[in-house]
Amino acid sequence: MKTKDLTTMAILTALAMALGWVERMIPLELLIPLPGVKLGLANTVTLFALYRLNWPAALLILTARCLLGALFSGNVTALAFSLCGGVLSLAAMAAAKRCRGLSVWGVSVLGAAAHNCGQILTAMLLMHSRAILGYLPYLLLIGTACGCATAAAASGVLRALRSGAAG
Amino acid sequence: MKKRDELTFRKGDGIAIAAVILAALALLAFSLTAAGRGGKRVVRVYQEGELLREMPLDEDGEFLIQDRYENLIRVRDGKAAIVESSCPGEDCVHSGWISQPVRSVVCLPNRVEVRVEGVSGADDVDAVAR
Repeated sequence: MKTKDLTTMAILTALAMALGWVERMIPLELLIPLPGVKLGLANTVTLFALYRLNWPAALLILTARCLLGALFSGNVTALAFSLCGGVLSLAAMAAAKRCRGLSVWGVSVLGAAAHNCGQILTAMLLMHSRAILGYLPYLLLIGTACGCATAAAASGVLRALRSGAAG
Repeated sequence: MKKRDELTFRKGDGIAIAAVILAALALLAFSLTAAGRGGKRVVRVYQEGELLREMPLDEDGEFLIQDRYENLIRVRDGKAAIVESSCPGEDCVHSGWISQPVRSVVCLPNRVEVRVEGVSGADDVDAVAR
């Protein structure tokens, strides 16, 4: 691993955690009263890493972010959710990225949908309940909107970087 | 040679987004129609999948859970909610009141689920989950 890659990944991890912190100050659950509703700002970083670096790098950043986040917040339950949702989401995005017909937008929305499925799956396992499945359609609809927002942010950054530092 | 543009919105993206929205709507329609409407409804309180308490939805009442955290569950005017909680975030309290079958309020930190069910409860839930 090159030092430059390592540094980039460290910066991206820090950025993802900062975004996660900012996100906690936006009271989205007051607007949409469902547990687990998030903007997914930190996913912008995962998306960026997936396009700018590669999927192993994105996975490393994701894992580091989840572990450090759980360490700082002391919330182990949240770790199960963020890891399960995050890994599923990344897997879906890496797969979707290989599809020729899809750009950042489709990849991001599919990643968000996979994240929602992961969340519900974890909740079903933790609560031993299948009724939670009733939340999935709502989460999917909100997730699609958030996925588009994430894609807009990531494509903006990627485009700026491409025209700025050509290669 | 021009590189394949991965940043501009494409037709495939529209299809992917439409597919996700359609899947969500289909799930939603399914869960709404499968939920046994009418009939008598009860509120069941579960912790880690175990039934702690059953209350009729048409009778006002309260139930306090004291575990890792405290959840105060209230039934009033045919609706149920977690009205007070000592858990961090209090997502369960913000979830508000429920009255329709298969809707539930969840307090994840306390592993508690408050569910409205038809009297043939278990069947309704399985019909949705199947």
